Amino acid sequence: MISISDLRYTRPDGDFTLNIPTLEVASQSAMAVTGPSGSGKTTLLNLIAGILTPCSGHVQIGDTDISQLSESSRRAFRLNNIGLVFQSFELVEYLSVVENVLLPARISPALTLTNELKRRAHDLLVQAGLQRYVGRAVTQLSQGERQRVAICRALLTDPMLLLADEPTGNLDPAASHGTVGILLEQVWNHGATLVMVSHDHTLLNQFDSTIDFRSLPSGNTDIVSGPGDSGAA
Amino acid sequence: MLRNAVWLAARSLWWYRGRTITIVLCLAVTLWAPLTVRLLVRQFQADILDRARSTPLIIGTKGSRIDLVLHGLYFEAIPPEFTTMREATYVRESGFAQAIPLHIRFRTQSAGATRGAPIVGTSLEYFEFRRLTIQHGQPLTRLGDCILGAGFAAQAGLSPGDSLLSAPRNAFNLAGDYPLKMQVAGVFYRTHTPDDDAVFVDLKTAWIIEGIGHGHQKLTFESADQLLKSNSAGTLTANASVLPYMEVTDENEAAFHFHGDEEDYPVSEIIALPKDRQAQTMLLGRYASVRQSNALCMKPGDVVDDLLSMVFRIEQLFRIAAVVSTVVTLLLLGLVVFLSVRLREPEMTTMQRIGSARGTTALLIGTEMLLLLVTAIGLSVGTALMTEHLASGWLRHLLF
Repeated sequence: MISISDLRYTRPDGDFTLNIPTLEVASQSAMAVTGPSGSGKTTLLNLIAGILTPCSGHVQIGDTDISQLSESSRRAFRLNNIGLVFQSFELVEYLSVVENVLLPARISPALTLTNELKRRAHDLLVQAGLQRYVGRAVTQLSQGERQRVAICRALLTDPMLLLADEPTGNLDPAASHGTVGILLEQVWNHGATLVMVSHDHTLLNQFDSTIDFRSLPSGNTDIVSGPGDSGAA
Repeated sequence: MLRNAVWLAARSLWWYRGRTITIVLCLAVTLWAPLTVRLLVRQFQADILDRARSTPLIIGTKGSRIDLVLHGLYFEAIPPEFTTMREATYVRESGFAQAIPLHIRFRTQSAGATRGAPIVGTSLEYFEFRRLTIQHGQPLTRLGDCILGAGFAAQAGLSPGDSLLSAPRNAFNLAGDYPLKMQVAGVFYRTHTPDDDAVFVDLKTAWIIEGIGHGHQKLTFESADQLLKSNSAGTLTANASVLPYMEVTDENEAAFHFHGDEEDYPVSEIIALPKDRQAQTMLLGRYASVRQSNALCMKPGDVVDDLLSMVFRIEQLFRIAAVVSTVVTLLLLGLVVFLSVRLREPEMTTMQRIGSARGTTALLIGTEMLLLLVTAIGLSVGTALMTEHLASGWLRHLLF
C-alpha cells in the first residue's frame, strides 16, 4: 500500500533531516509510529500525505507516486484518498458537528457536496454514536466526542489510507481506546490502511506493526535527527 | 466553489457576530456620513434650484439679494424691508411682465407643538403660477378667508370650515396689529414645495392683519358719545373704545375698509413673469438703470447659484473630512482583518492540510470581507436614503 524508498527530507531551516531508505506498509494493515517528540513522526505522516514534499526519494501510495505529483494533484489525491486525523482535532468552531464532517466538500472543487455525501456524513455520525449532536456546535462537545467528529470528517470520502497524528494525545484512556477502536474498525471491516502516531504504549498491541523511531533496525530505516535530538538516531 | 465560500463566510461572520456587527457599523457610519451629506446637498440643490429657476424675476427693496430671494421663494428667511404696490403697478404698466405681489410678514398662531405657518398674502395669479389646485373646499371668496398648504393642514389638523388666528408681531403693543380670525376656505393639493407649509390669503386680508384695513362698529352722528373722540364739521373721529372686528363675517364684511392710497400699501416681494426673454431683459435693464434707486430686480436662479457655490465649498470640507475618516477606518479595518486572519491561522492551516488550495483560503477571507463591505454599504445607503427622506424638510426649515 505504502512504499517509501530513498526518502530524504530536510527542514527549510536545516535543523532536522529525515532519512528513510525503505519503508513498506501493507494494504489493509494498521501500523503504529512511536518515538520521542521531534524524532520526525509527524514529518513522516506529512510526507506520506503529500503535505510536505521530500528533497529526494519516492513515496508511493498504491499505484501513485505522490512525491511526483503537482501541488494541486497532491491536494486532490489527499482529499479523495487519504483521511487525516489530528491530535487537537482541528475542527472549525463556527460549524456544527455535521458541517464539520462535510467540510472537505466545502473547501475543494475536487469534491462535490451531494445528497449522497450528506447521507454518508450522517451515517458516519450515527456509527460514531454522535447522532444526538448532529446540529450542535462542536464547542459544546467533550474532547472524546470532538475527536470522533474529526474521525468522521477523515472518513467522509471512504479513504483507502488513514493517517492519524497522535489522535489520542488529548484524550482520557477510555476515550483513547474508543477512538483507536473506530480507526481500527476501518482497517478490519472496511479495508483501509492506517498509520497512526502515538505515544501511548498501551494501544500499540492492537496494531499489526509498530515502528519505534528509537529502535529501528539499522539498514532498514535510518532516521537522522538534528543535534538537539539524540533519541531518534 | 464560490457558493461554498459564501456559505462558509456567512457561517463564520454569524459565529463571530459581535466582531461582524462592530466592523459593519464602523464601515457603515464612515460611508453613511459623506453619502448623507451628498444626498442632502443634492436634494437641497434640486429643491432650491427648481423653485428658483421656475421663478423668472423677483423684485423687492434694495438690500440682501439672498434674503430677498429666499424669503420670496421659501417664506422663511429674514424678511426684507417692504416695498409698495407702486412697484407692482410699475411692472404691470411697463407691459413687460405680469406682476404677482407677495405680502409675507405674519404667521398663524402656534398651537401646542404645531408651529405657526407663514401667512402669504397674494393675488390669485400666484396659485396659477405655482400650479396650486384645491383638493378640499373652495377658492378664496371673501376677505378673511384662507387656503392652507397640504402639509400645514395635515400638521395642524385643519380642514375647510375651521378657523385659525394670525399671530400679532408684538403681543404687548396695544396699538399694533390685532390677530385676525381667518376661515379655512380650502386646502391645496400637496406639491412638495414650501407652499405646502404656508397659509394663503388675499393680499387685502394680509393688509387687514397688518392693520391697514379694518372693520369696526359703524359710527353715526347719533352714536353714543363714549365712542366718539370728536364730532366736528361733519367729520366723526372714533376713540379707542370703538371695537375693531377680529373676524370677517357676512354681516360685517361691508364694514371693512382701507385707509390711504393702495399704491403705498406694503408688499414684501413682487414676482414678475415676463412675456418673453426680450421683455425680461428690458425689465432687468430698467431696474439696473432708471429704477435702480427704487428697487432691486433679479433672477432668483442666479442668486441661488451664488448661494449654492458657497454650499458646495462647505461640502468640499465635508468630503475632505470624510476621506480622512474613511482612510482611518480602512486602516483600522485592515488591522482587524490582519488580527482576525492571524487568529484563524490554525483553521486555515487545517483546511489546507485537509485539501483546500491556498487560493481557497484567500477566497474565504476575501468573501468575508466582501460580505462585510456589501452589508455595510447596504446599511449606509439604506440609512442615508432614510435620513434624506426624514431630514430634507427639516434641513429646509433649518436653512431658511
